[in-house]
Amino acid sequence: MKILKKLAITASAIAMMSVGAQAAGEIKVGSAGGVTGPIAELVAAIVKGRQVAVDHVNSSGGLLGGDTMKLVIADSACDPKAAVDAGNKLVNVEQVVAIIGPSCSGATNGMVSSVTIPAGVTVLSDSATAPSISELKDNDTVFRASASDAYQGKAIADLVWKAGIKKVAVTYSNDDYNAGIANVFTTEYKALGGEITGNQAHEPNKASYRSELSTLNQGGPEALALFAYYGSSGITIIKNSLENGLFGKFYAADGMFDNSVIGQIGADNLKGNLWITQAASDTEDASYKAFAEAYKAAGGDPEAPYAAHGYDVAFLMALAIEKAGSADRSKISAALRAVAGPEGEVVRPGEWEKAKKLIAEGKDVNYEGAAGINDFDKNGDVTGLFSVNIVGDDGTWSRSMLK
Amino acid sequence: MAEFINFYFIPGLILGSIYALGAIGITMTFVILRFANFAHGESMTLGVYFAWTLVQLTGLHPLVVMPIAMVLTVLYALSIDRIFYKPLRNAPVVMLVVASFGLMLMTRSVVQFFWGVQLKSVLPGIQKPIMVLDYLRISPKHMMIIISALVLMFAVHYLLTYTKIGKAMRAMSDSPELARLTGIDTEKVVLATWVVGAALACAAGVFLAIDTHVETRMGFKLLLPMFAAAILGGVGRPYGALVGGLIIGLAEEISSYPFIGTEPLLNPGYKAGVAFAIMIGILIWRPSGLFKGKVF
Amino acid sequence: MDAFYGYMLYGISLATMGGIYAVLTLGLNVQWGFTGLFNAGIAGFFGIGAYTTAILTTAPTHRHLGGYEMPYVVGFLAAMLLCGIIAYLVGKVCLRLRSDYLAIATIGIAEIFRLILKNETWATNGPRGVSEIPKPFEHWPEPWNQFAFLALVLVIVAIVYVLVEVARKSPWGRVMTAIRENEPSAKAAGKNVEVFRMEGFVIGCMIMALAGALMAHYLKFVDPNATDPLLATFLVWVMLIVGGSANNKGAILGAFLMWVVWSATEIVTSRLPDELAIRAAYIRIFLIGLMLQIFLQKFPQGILPEKRPTVPKSNRNSETV
Repeated sequence: MKILKKLAITASAIAMMSVGAQAAGEIKVGSAGGVTGPIAELVAAIVKGRQVAVDHVNSSGGLLGGDTMKLVIADSACDPKAAVDAGNKLVNVEQVVAIIGPSCSGATNGMVSSVTIPAGVTVLSDSATAPSISELKDNDTVFRASASDAYQGKAIADLVWKAGIKKVAVTYSNDDYNAGIANVFTTEYKALGGEITGNQAHEPNKASYRSELSTLNQGGPEALALFAYYGSSGITIIKNSLENGLFGKFYAADGMFDNSVIGQIGADNLKGNLWITQAASDTEDASYKAFAEAYKAAGGDPEAPYAAHGYDVAFLMALAIEKAGSADRSKISAALRAVAGPEGEVVRPGEWEKAKKLIAEGKDVNYEGAAGINDFDKNGDVTGLFSVNIVGDDGTWSRSMLK
Repeated sequence: MAEFINFYFIPGLILGSIYALGAIGITMTFVILRFANFAHGESMTLGVYFAWTLVQLTGLHPLVVMPIAMVLTVLYALSIDRIFYKPLRNAPVVMLVVASFGLMLMTRSVVQFFWGVQLKSVLPGIQKPIMVLDYLRISPKHMMIIISALVLMFAVHYLLTYTKIGKAMRAMSDSPELARLTGIDTEKVVLATWVVGAALACAAGVFLAIDTHVETRMGFKLLLPMFAAAILGGVGRPYGALVGGLIIGLAEEISSYPFIGTEPLLNPGYKAGVAFAIMIGILIWRPSGLFKGKVF
Repeated sequence: MDAFYGYMLYGISLATMGGIYAVLTLGLNVQWGFTGLFNAGIAGFFGIGAYTTAILTTAPTHRHLGGYEMPYVVGFLAAMLLCGIIAYLVGKVCLRLRSDYLAIATIGIAEIFRLILKNETWATNGPRGVSEIPKPFEHWPEPWNQFAFLALVLVIVAIVYVLVEVARKSPWGRVMTAIRENEPSAKAAGKNVEVFRMEGFVIGCMIMALAGALMAHYLKFVDPNATDPLLATFLVWVMLIVGGSANNKGAILGAFLMWVVWSATEIVTSRLPDELAIRAAYIRIFLIGLMLQIFLQKFPQGILPEKRPTVPKSNRNSETV
């Protein structure tokens, strides 16, 4: 029983700490993300993006009457069990105004259905892309700043078709994100008249994909449509293909976009044979530039997948709280729609003071995000802008917009 | 045929050598310490991260710094044994299994905490294979892996056959009671087991890292195939583990060869299941494995 | 919102999850605590339970098999039944083996289940999972629906507890203990060891499936990530070892206690600066592992050690005759 006593003391100490930590003049927003689990390496960059936005808000006036915006991190681990627990803590213990995140579609699905929709808390995810999220009965409390897979899959299909490629092989990592986008791609590409010579799922984190690639190479495909995360299988697949002369052209979606792709495979090997679409705006776009500068200053790589989305959701949420005029959960959903556009004066990343002034004057704001225009449709989704990245002459990524 | 050899057989051989080296440690711990060590995969991960750090510090080829990484991994294994396994030496064996289960997660979280989860590489870039006899493609790094694996396997063979401690290890694995009666220092044999197991695990991990990349869950992904290899070869049979590793590696790759028509024989999504399926089959029909290992 | 009200709701969610884990831990206790079977594939049986009820109770959809809109009770029973059948087949293969082999075999089988859940898209919607699973009482007003669900979970915990406790004290339970402690002598006493172990294994797996089914309804969503071994296998083991294996009260206590420790530590770590708060997630896992090691070495009996059921006097006399 001695142990029990000790444990009881520790537990009560933990409880005391959490009660005592309520600082004055602080508005808490939940920041859920899969900081552990299968896509932890992507989430680190996204969470950084959110924090950069919050720093912008706090360093130029803060929320409402000078309150600081505080992100409370909760680990949703890309696992619905963990996400529901994380959501519960954010909603009930931390009493957050709203939640940004989580990262994975499955975690988002579990958290919103089980916790936030019943509690009436607004959720704005930066990287959940599953189409099923659009269909939830959510009383208009679930939003996302990244386009549903349905849009990106179509964008890639168009890109491949327009490049004059008539036959492709498809392989996708068997997870919620990549399986979904691959599915849309194959449907759209066939609708355009293209031929899919082979379509195979692969299990991530295997040491070698040579045999899968060899099988996929049957039937004369001109390119490989590769839907994978760069870390768990994408890089290995490109390496295996190039080393063995199996595939020479690759089309991929934004789970593949990272500097380590160039770092590990080598720019010379990728020039002219890799196209990665990404939900992102033009690098020349004022919004993107503003974000990229700030993100770089914070020591991050602004081109990391969904980092810009991470920034956008945090900034949008700050605008929504400002617009709502108080940290009242029930007002966030409507306020979010109001600040996202399309009507009103354009506000870009970093322009917090300007936005604050406009809202104070009762004017409409239209946030044009670092990752694209955030105008929500009736499901709380955005259509998104897509760019295509290739390895440029200087050995780094070069981006152009897709229309 | 060339396609079969290039894209199914050779990758299977590489993967098999990696499994084989890892499985030797598992099979020896299983027979000498009498428990299934779930933390073995994480020794591998940790070894790879040691090697990665050394490559960053010195700029040398990963195979050159590998011996130092092996020493570090051995030190880790010995201290783990001292702190976590030794106090449980007289407890029911299953306690050791539970302890190793816990250590698996502890070690992984330490790696994730200190090195982060970003993907790393010990040997960036790609290597075009050399064409042999016009149709065989062999990449230089694969030659390196296979040759180094052979050297290590030979070293293990030498150790077990010609050295005093190696003979003691074999005696212990054949019959622990008899070994104790003949005055073999069991603690010494236990330590030697950890040294051999950890060093080989580190090497296998580095080979895998050379072939692919470095990430925090690479060891865990190999754990079950390595168990399968150890059981297939017969528990306590280092040579069995070698053969078992090669068979599992080859079977995984060849399972998706389009033997009939152009569709893969087995949906590659299930490739990871091949090792388990073989293992379960062996457990049903021949639990002593191919080389008449121990069955507890 | 009132702070107290919030803590109460969080308390309900803690208790609900703790209760679901208590059912899982009781299932493991039947296998490990009573019978000495090392099941390292808890996540697999948990997943079968969750998916079975999810497919049976959801509304029709084009995404996956099912949409039969059956009542929850049917979902629960079907989950247990299907899992019982699968456990029987698995047991046929694996139970002849010593505990370590069983551990390796079950972890392998759990991985195969996971691959099936991911690859058989027509039935399970693959990696995208099954969404919009109905939750009992969800149309009741807040917070009463949460209370009602908690009550359902606690009632199930109580029923399972009473059943396994009765089993433990019965002659059946005593044979189990005998097999665990000394298999040869149990055999010599004419007990069919294989049959008893099989019974323990199958019953344990069925209880795990029930926990999986409860979890699916509670989360309203299930995908292959929910069968990740960390939270679905490893944590359950820690709960049982900490609580006290072979003691059903200990199993329940361990489940609630460890879930509170697991969940509440994040409230503390989320106060850390950003960079550290992210990495602290790994420290949480490390600390849970360390706690397990400390219990293994210092308190191998757990918080509530095993209590042997006393043999009734009349029995004792007759046995000595």
